[in-house]
Amino acid sequence: MAALSKCPAKPSITATRPTAFSHYLPFLHASGFWISRFPFLQNGIVVVESALGMKQLFVLFGFAMISAYAAEMERFAFNDKKIPSGVEDLKAIQKSMQSVLEKVRAATVCVELGQGSGSGVIISEDGLILTAAHVTSGVGKEVTFVLSDGRRVKGESLGLSSDSDCAMAKITEKGPFPFVEVDKEDQSRLGDWVFSLGHSGGYNKDRGVGVRIGRIVKSTESTVQTDCSLIGGDSGGPLFDMHGRLIGIHSRVGPTITENMHVPTREFVLHWDKMLKGEFLGEGPFAKKPKKGTGFLGCGSEDREGKLVVTKIGRESPAEAAGIKVDDILIKLDGTEIKDKKHFQAMLAEKCADDKVTVVLLRAEKEISLTIKLAER
Amino acid sequence: MKFFLTRRFFSHSSLLVIFASSMLGHHAYAQELLDTEFRTNGPLMHALVAPTAEVLQKSSAVIFEGRNEEISFGTIVSADGLILTKASEIAEKKDLSARIDRRSYPLKEVIAVDPVWDVALVKVDAADLTPVPFAESSNIEIGTWCVANGAATRFQRRPMIGIISATTREIKADGGPVLGIALTKDDDGLLIGEIPEKSSAHSAGLKKGDIVTHLDNQAMKKREDVAKFMENRKVGDEVEVTFLREGKEQKAKVTLAGRGDTFGAPATRNDAMSGEVSKRRSGFPRVLQHDIMGNNKTCGGPLLDLDGKCIGMNIARANRCESFAIPVEELLQLIEKLKAKQPAP
Repeated sequence: MAALSKCPAKPSITATRPTAFSHYLPFLHASGFWISRFPFLQNGIVVVESALGMKQLFVLFGFAMISAYAAEMERFAFNDKKIPSGVEDLKAIQKSMQSVLEKVRAATVCVELGQGSGSGVIISEDGLILTAAHVTSGVGKEVTFVLSDGRRVKGESLGLSSDSDCAMAKITEKGPFPFVEVDKEDQSRLGDWVFSLGHSGGYNKDRGVGVRIGRIVKSTESTVQTDCSLIGGDSGGPLFDMHGRLIGIHSRVGPTITENMHVPTREFVLHWDKMLKGEFLGEGPFAKKPKKGTGFLGCGSEDREGKLVVTKIGRESPAEAAGIKVDDILIKLDGTEIKDKKHFQAMLAEKCADDKVTVVLLRAEKEISLTIKLAER
Repeated sequence: MKFFLTRRFFSHSSLLVIFASSMLGHHAYAQELLDTEFRTNGPLMHALVAPTAEVLQKSSAVIFEGRNEEISFGTIVSADGLILTKASEIAEKKDLSARIDRRSYPLKEVIAVDPVWDVALVKVDAADLTPVPFAESSNIEIGTWCVANGAATRFQRRPMIGIISATTREIKADGGPVLGIALTKDDDGLLIGEIPEKSSAHSAGLKKGDIVTHLDNQAMKKREDVAKFMENRKVGDEVEVTFLREGKEQKAKVTLAGRGDTFGAPATRNDAMSGEVSKRRSGFPRVLQHDIMGNNKTCGGPLLDLDGKCIGMNIARANRCESFAIPVEELLQLIEKLKAKQPAP
């Protein structure tokens, strides 16, 4: 498993290459995971606590079992065979995939950011997107998404987990958008038949989203490996089970064509709320945390009679774009009263490029509150 | 529902056993590895598509250079020894032979080459070969299983499987069509600088130092004139070049080729992770795309459906996850066109 290389379309969105992969740990679930994966266990606990007789307990337990098996029933028979029994099974695999293909291809987007491109998948009608951390590379970045029909829409990156290559983003234009179902219950198993989609090498309208078939050949806590081939531009694209449920996001490839690594959706579930809030999680290697002090506002100021007065606005600066004017008096930054210029600068020095700050200023004795996204210094 | 009913008749104890084993089952995927034999292109999957392997055994060829060097596959299109293969892979190769089923045939003659499709029609001395059975149409839904030649042994052809993975379409020539000459401005016209050996201008007899004056009788004064002329042309088009050599006007017919294929294109990061790809992998009027793994040496053979019918001919390994095949409709037309170039017996 040495010499892993990630696969963005162009090097500009490459994160540092992970030298040693530290995630191949024995499989350990958080307790919450266990409960969610075994709903019948919860039933069991309820039964014991309400101190019913053995007979009812067994009856209820039986129901729990039936509900557990109802979930099992959903599994395709071909997934529980080490190898398909014959051409009929191959055709069943094909049929199940083809019945969902049109829908899931429509929800697979090309993610354009800077010089490079990756892929992503829409998971809600209003345009929430799952992709890879090494594709978005940061929080709050402006992104263009190319929908499978060629329509280009604007959006921004949300939070990410930089040590496992998960990221969220959202379309900021109005939906509805085509979307897919996420397998949050972690139902896929080793050997299951799966397929990968992505905008390999960038968006190509004539070709459309490329589809590749394979099986899950290895599974660890934070990585699923398949023999569905991937290439640059596929990064961040979706891996589906044969029901068309999202089970992973493409992350990187190994030296041979059969080594293709995806981040399982269970890893997204772990970080879901924090990513949705726009947090930058982990210390890499898939994305680098922006350095403090890289945020740029672009307005000069000086202390006058105990007040901090704006004296200069940088051309094409975030300050100019937000509408700050010369002679405005700066009062608050992110809710904190500004004491003087030194204090203001010290607070700004804690900010990074792409951070959003709220500035309250006084103009003609009226308070004005502005939310400004900092540029890169 | 049937499943529900049968479950009810299970005893409590057996339920508990199932319960325990299902827990173990859920728990057990940590760190597991699927044995190679069960993988998508493992031997057990290949055994499943044995009927298609039988077609490959009889109706595909392995093209050798010398005794041991496999350079391409071929598609058998007549009982009397006509075989299609990938032209650019056999070009300028010597001592060629074709292994079909368990026999080896010397490959003496290249009957015709189609520069557009990069296909050569070759012939071996045989009388009872099995031509590949053609499918009625290549109009196949994305996601449909397909089969192509995999690694061959001396006596056995092996299948590789995959799916149709994208929309059937034209693959434009990388960098657009070119004559295959480097032009510099000269007072009298356009002076030919370098001509790469594999360019079609070179094979048409043009030389360094010749001065190009007309293309298809249109005067060419500047390089921009040539660029404009090329806008409406495509790879495979024939262009009449009028040129001056030692002051004398001469003419030559040059077949346009792709810029990237003629002058080489810089390797991309995606090329770096794709292994050996085809030298000629763009400039095809229409291709089926599939995800069957391969390399520069695995083209030329038939692309089959699960019934063993030929839906196309593999013509390029483009990159790590894209392989191209000529659709059966175009393939049949091409066979007729190339056969017509066969000298009368």
